Amino acid sequence: MARTEIRLAGSGGQGLILGMHILFRALGIEGKRAAQSQSYEPTSRGGFCYSDLVVSDDAAGYPLVTGLDMIAGLSQIGVDRSMAMAKAGSLVLIDERLVPRPPEGLHDLHILPITTRAIALGSARVANIVALGALARLSGVVSKDALMEAVRLETPKKFAELNLAALEEGFALQAGVVATEPA
Amino acid sequence: MTKTLTPVAGNHACALAAIAAGCRFFAGYPITPSSEIAEFMSRELPRVDGVFIQMEDEIASIAAIIGASLGGSKTMTATSGPGFSLMQENLGYAAMTETPCVIINVMRGGPSTGMPTRPAQGDIMQARWGSHGDHPIIVVAPASVQEIHSETIRAFNLAEEFRTPVVVLYDEIVAHLMEMVELPAAGTIKQVDRKWADAAQANYLPYAETPDLVPPMSRPGDGHRVHVTGLTHTPDGFPTQKPDLADRALMRILDKIEKNRGKIEKIEAIETDDADILIVAIGIVARAARSAVASLRSEGIKVGLLRPVTLWPFPEAAVRAAANNARVVLVPEMNTGQLNREVERLVDAPAKVAGLHRVDGEPIAPGEIAARIREMIAQ
Repeated sequence: MARTEIRLAGSGGQGLILGMHILFRALGIEGKRAAQSQSYEPTSRGGFCYSDLVVSDDAAGYPLVTGLDMIAGLSQIGVDRSMAMAKAGSLVLIDERLVPRPPEGLHDLHILPITTRAIALGSARVANIVALGALARLSGVVSKDALMEAVRLETPKKFAELNLAALEEGFALQAGVVATEPA
Repeated sequence: MTKTLTPVAGNHACALAAIAAGCRFFAGYPITPSSEIAEFMSRELPRVDGVFIQMEDEIASIAAIIGASLGGSKTMTATSGPGFSLMQENLGYAAMTETPCVIINVMRGGPSTGMPTRPAQGDIMQARWGSHGDHPIIVVAPASVQEIHSETIRAFNLAEEFRTPVVVLYDEIVAHLMEMVELPAAGTIKQVDRKWADAAQANYLPYAETPDLVPPMSRPGDGHRVHVTGLTHTPDGFPTQKPDLADRALMRILDKIEKNRGKIEKIEAIETDDADILIVAIGIVARAARSAVASLRSEGIKVGLLRPVTLWPFPEAAVRAAANNARVVLVPEMNTGQLNREVERLVDAPAKVAGLHRVDGEPIAPGEIAARIREMIAQ
């Protein structure tokens, strides 16, 4: 049965859980089944934090990740501690500023200026949405329309425009991608 | 896809289900990882003319829901291990006074305050035997967000039908998991109401010995004289220590559950008919086991899963039958062997039961279960 496992990895306070809620909601709009989970620690800022999504038609299946197909990394610790779970050939996109040491191994690796673009839009806090857009574009896991609708549903109205702009930025990032695929 | 799927987290599903089942009174003391239930109830109950009270502690919380239930409401509280420990005395009081109520216990790492945000299954025995004395209890153990919804509704209905406290027991993972849920349309949800006494009945006995063993309750305001006590009591509700009457009183409330196992028990059996290897598991671990069954079956290994959905009373006949058909039984659980011993008690040869345990706050993955079974086969 087709099963796709996705992780947003980073640190507390980066909006990783909200990011996954948006992707989860978008998949729901497309009528797809998924399960979303997260590490949930007493520490809410900094440290290692992640949110996971398992896309599968099997509603009663195992809802937690067992081998990641895709990782979007927004901190060094987030990436370092998630790679052991990555399948060979998995899609890995990392922020060029926050993840200075790219992971080794046979991955479809993309180093992207995620936070740089977020800051250019006006707030580093929308880096989660930029990452989501880039992930959606590179993986095709969900359509842009569904993701836009989900952003409108899941984020506060007064930030809707900023978040939608961040999503556009994420989708546009593919053009300028610096892909390095180590041998 | 024609079905409407709604994205819902486990604790949210629990609260939605409670209101759909008719819960109109919630008293609680928020505690991780159950807090979202209290949060949701505090917002939603007033909208349906219900009452939410944040109490000073968990002892008061369960006391309040017992009182409100005797006052005619469908009631619920929600907690986690440390709070569930504080509730034990009054849980027995609810059982003894035959007061319908629902207690949600979201399991986290223990003992004591343990690991508040990590999952565990360490309260399996506490849910059955935490309160002193032989007492009747029903415990249901959902394994998915969808099932938290359906089992919470069933918990209310069982509480009402059998005049007993019902515990809904699940772990931190399903509590915070978000899944797509098919929410039943309003009006299609089965709601059971307690059997009310006839308002005109003279000489009403609050603990009458009826053929179905469930005494009708007096509707507040109907004018019946009702005495409620945790002391062993006769059908009129007043205390007794006469041996024959004390025995009758306790045996009736125990038989009320025991003789109605057919209406209370619920299991899920996956590929158990021809299983050489049987897995018995609940909650999130059962979902890992289900995944392990699928992968092992594809290798030609005859393995099956029996999952108690009603955890207590334990589905003894179903477990005995499936386990005695199997060569070996594996009981994976997030504790050091609570379910394991319950299964051992039932099988023909206890030595064929093996455990797979984790108490480090991490879930048991499908791969761990499959690996252990391959090891067991190789032996």
